Amino acid sequence: MPRFDYVRAGSVAEALRLLAEPGLTSRPLAGGTDVLVYIRHERAPFDRLVDISRVPELKIIERRGNEVVVGGAVTYTEAAESPLLRQVAACLVEACLTVGGPAIRNMGTLGGNVVNAAACADSLPPLTCLDTMVHLRSLAGERTMALSEFIMGPNRTAIRAGELLTHFSFPVPPDGARQVFIKLGRRNAQAISRLSIAAIGRLDGQGRADYVRLSPGAAMPTPRRLTEVEAMLLGQVPTDELLIAAGVRSAEVMIAVTGRRWSTEYKEVAIQALAERVLRRVLVL
Amino acid sequence: MLIEFTLNRKRVAVEAPPDITLLTLLRDYFNLTGTKEGCSVGECGACAVIMDGRLVNSCLVLAPQAAGSEVITIEGIRGPDGGPNDMQENFITYGAVQCGICIPGMIMAGEALLMHNPNPTRAEIRTALAGNLCRCTGYQQIVDAIEATARSREGNR
Ligand code: FES
Ligand code: FES
Repeated sequence: MPRFDYVRAGSVAEALRLLAEPGLTSRPLAGGTDVLVYIRHERAPFDRLVDISRVPELKIIERRGNEVVVGGAVTYTEAAESPLLRQVAACLVEACLTVGGPAIRNMGTLGGNVVNAAACADSLPPLTCLDTMVHLRSLAGERTMALSEFIMGPNRTAIRAGELLTHFSFPVPPDGARQVFIKLGRRNAQAISRLSIAAIGRLDGQGRADYVRLSPGAAMPTPRRLTEVEAMLLGQVPTDELLIAAGVRSAEVMIAVTGRRWSTEYKEVAIQALAERVLRRVLVL
Repeated sequence: MLIEFTLNRKRVAVEAPPDITLLTLLRDYFNLTGTKEGCSVGECGACAVIMDGRLVNSCLVLAPQAAGSEVITIEGIRGPDGGPNDMQENFITYGAVQCGICIPGMIMAGEALLMHNPNPTRAEIRTALAGNLCRCTGYQQIVDAIEATARSREGNR
């Protein structure tokens, strides 16, 4: 007896119908790179997988006015190769290129990364920096919420049974803003993030920061922008002193959220250095 | 369930359970044992095959996910005479093979790279092999062999 069944959806409407079918538990299957690892060790918590990886509506990457829309089943490779995302979401592209090796990037999806919501998920810092909204659909209708609200904790999100993450949207960052993503792992290739950080920044004509976004990954239970640090920099010339202070403040904010834990000794100095470095790269170098 | 796809350029149809991996399908249902099982969790690349022109780890693909796709395994990589192709010859020439268990995955990663980027730098070759572990060779010779293949294919174009 197979442990579960498989069915492929051709459209979002069909996927929603299959997910809501009574009498059995169905779960979406996107790239499968997390689900297949999970079911090697655990009993499958579903009776059927609904393959959404080829649904055209979930594969879009497009600009709609001042917004960018990215489908939930877009793979890391597709995101990284998209001319639009390379242009307006460079920190997301960089993050996608650090996920796994090529074979993982070819299957794994942004929607899967976010719904799985591992604390170390590489797409979360850039998506948070970009002020991403998550769009959900079920037979009951549509819901939209900020990514930072959608993720409720490590491996916990606000998604409901029968709901599908159809797409993300975020405003196009201002012209000339620089974006950087940095990740610390145990080795260079295929590493799981120990800590990561994304930043977007721009200077005005007088050399003062007029746009700053900063978001660390694997640092706090839910992703969020370090608005306290952004506020320190806005309207200021990013001097060495200020950047060092911004690093220190980033560590303070993290510890205020997480408290002191076994990993804090490492993460405190690491996030301080990473925040300073990433801000330097978007605002100075 | 019936799974139909193109395997090494031939249309195939096989009756198999929906909860097995593509790796199991290839090895146990088609007896294509060139594709190796290392870790089964996407860490080693020994099971790599090319699906619809992209490198994938077959241990992380559900067999029915391959339905309608075009899959190429190491058995589908060969020269015009049925012997080794130029990349496989270069692996031999450059001493890129020791125990051999990682080699089918390495060749698939190399071929997938050259499909998309016929003229890669050494750094790009290393990036393309980032998901493939080798415990024997130290990678240097593998990079050399793929680089030499790219150069000679470019020259023959
Ligand atoms: S067996 Fe598939 S990656 Fe190791
Ligand atoms: S040749 Fe032995 S693992 Fe690569």
